[in-house]
Amino acid sequence: MMAQITRRLLISIPVLLGVLLLGFGLLILVPGDPATVLAGPMATPEVIAKIRTDMGLDEPLAVQFGHYLLRMAHGDLGRSLISNKTVVSELLAAIGPTAELMFASLIWSVPVAIGLGTLAAVLRGSLLDRAIMAISVAGVSLPIFFIGLMMIHFVGVKWQLLPFLGRGGPLWTVEGLRHIILPAVSLGMILVGPVARMTRTSVLEVLKLDHVRTARAKGLSETSIILRHGLRNALIPVVTLIGLQAGYLLGGAVVTESIFSYPGIGRLAVGAILSSDFPLAQGTIMILALAFILINMTVDILYALLDPRMQTQ
Amino acid sequence: MTSIDAAAAVDEQAPPAIQPWWSRLMRDPIALFATAVLLAIIICAIAAPLISPHDPFATSRAVMKPPIWNAGGSWDHILGTDGQGRDMLSRLFYGTRLTLIIGVVSVGLGGTFGSFIGLLAAFYPKLEPWVMRLVDVMLSFPAILLGLALVAVLGSGVTPVVIALAIASIPDTARIARSIAVSVMKQEFIEAGRAVGLSDIALFTRYLLRNCISSIMIFMSLRFGQIILIGAALSFLGLGARPPTAELGMMASQGRDFLLFAPHIAVIPSVMIFIIVLATNVLGDALRDVLDPRLRS
Repeated sequence: MMAQITRRLLISIPVLLGVLLLGFGLLILVPGDPATVLAGPMATPEVIAKIRTDMGLDEPLAVQFGHYLLRMAHGDLGRSLISNKTVVSELLAAIGPTAELMFASLIWSVPVAIGLGTLAAVLRGSLLDRAIMAISVAGVSLPIFFIGLMMIHFVGVKWQLLPFLGRGGPLWTVEGLRHIILPAVSLGMILVGPVARMTRTSVLEVLKLDHVRTARAKGLSETSIILRHGLRNALIPVVTLIGLQAGYLLGGAVVTESIFSYPGIGRLAVGAILSSDFPLAQGTIMILALAFILINMTVDILYALLDPRMQTQ
Repeated sequence: MTSIDAAAAVDEQAPPAIQPWWSRLMRDPIALFATAVLLAIIICAIAAPLISPHDPFATSRAVMKPPIWNAGGSWDHILGTDGQGRDMLSRLFYGTRLTLIIGVVSVGLGGTFGSFIGLLAAFYPKLEPWVMRLVDVMLSFPAILLGLALVAVLGSGVTPVVIALAIASIPDTARIARSIAVSVMKQEFIEAGRAVGLSDIALFTRYLLRNCISSIMIFMSLRFGQIILIGAALSFLGLGARPPTAELGMMASQGRDFLLFAPHIAVIPSVMIFIIVLATNVLGDALRDVLDPRLRS
């Protein structure tokens, strides 16, 4: 198992390098002179010249990449052209809210999806099973912004039940909770379909195995068979799937945050790109890529810990 | 034994004729319905200039007119008008057209390149670890992120979105193409081809590619729905097609400002995306069931 985890950590090295290259590539590929772009439209020629020498833009690409890596190592991502705050401070302020949103989305959607999937597997072939599966296919096909817009339209505006703009505060306050419900429900919705489907398939698979038959023969109640012998083993592929969906979830967070004006990384990224705030755009994109890699790595390690077969190898 | 007897004997030995996959697919009423819906949508998209009742870009004073089924709707604008008085039905036809084109072009480009490197990895086992590592790294960047990065560099527009979606389709297709090709490479006819001295190019195109292409195409069609959704999301964020072009995601985004008074402006294009993706997903599921009976539940 240790070997498995080490291997996983080793694979992430080229990927991290990829993230750094991506950030660097953003800088070189941008049409026009990087120094002019970074300095913003209001900059004086002196400022542009200073940036050019600071970044070593007149030197060969390899040297530039070295400079860039050094700046990264010092946590220097530049300053936002709009707010003039450092990119790092902007990112730090937005990470918390995004993490809260992801957490709030997972905390309801994963149990609901696993419950629905298990129910569908146990009642296989019934009307309820078909209904759950139909809903899950429909759920996968819904554009996430549509879910968000409908939530705002009905729950927020028509029935005026919940606030739908911004963040109310930390998650442990009442206002914080009230504000996060609509974004978290919209975002979590994209996970329910795929996870419910995977749970159903996986539970059906496990219920066919010998140890379940033995449990039945021992005269265990059906509930305990399903929960203790079925679901527990069925969850391993489900965990993997949740990890694979992390990209969708992160992408969904970008859309959800924009719709609900929720002050997270996603909204920051879209805002920066639309307003040509290049340093901030670069920072947000890199932090999103990093988050995605970390989530995937965690899931892979969890998987190694969860699956007893991995431990014997 | 007469020749007729011999034929009869052969007949008895022959396995029952296997029905082609499409005839099995079309016996599934839901798949049939999804196909019909998709075909209808594609025809409307192609024929958009012919069947649109109005100019999709012409603004008018009749803003936010409701669709025909609501009070105040008229036959002149069956689906009503948007916030600038443009005919929703015409914009829907044009918008669907652009959304479909974005999807087809990106899945086509990315899928072609992905299958090519996947097949190469199977054909030259020495290349395999390199190709697969590259694919792993590419899988680490979700499509939306690629889209954001490209738009940051190139500015918003259809092209960066298509490039991002195409790149996002590469790793999955490469993996699938490789796994399909590996099993084909084990077949005897490949060895036979080698034995008669065929060049690598001939072996690759005539023996490997031809035997893999249909499975790969089917897999690519499964990806289509997801790609459409991501593309629409990027347009919704304002990173894709630029106004006044009609694109479904962008139309939904414009409708956002009128949600309170004229919800149809956002709802109609969103529902259209939903129908396209749902039909693709349903068809894809049915296709997989028919082609790969092991996966049938």
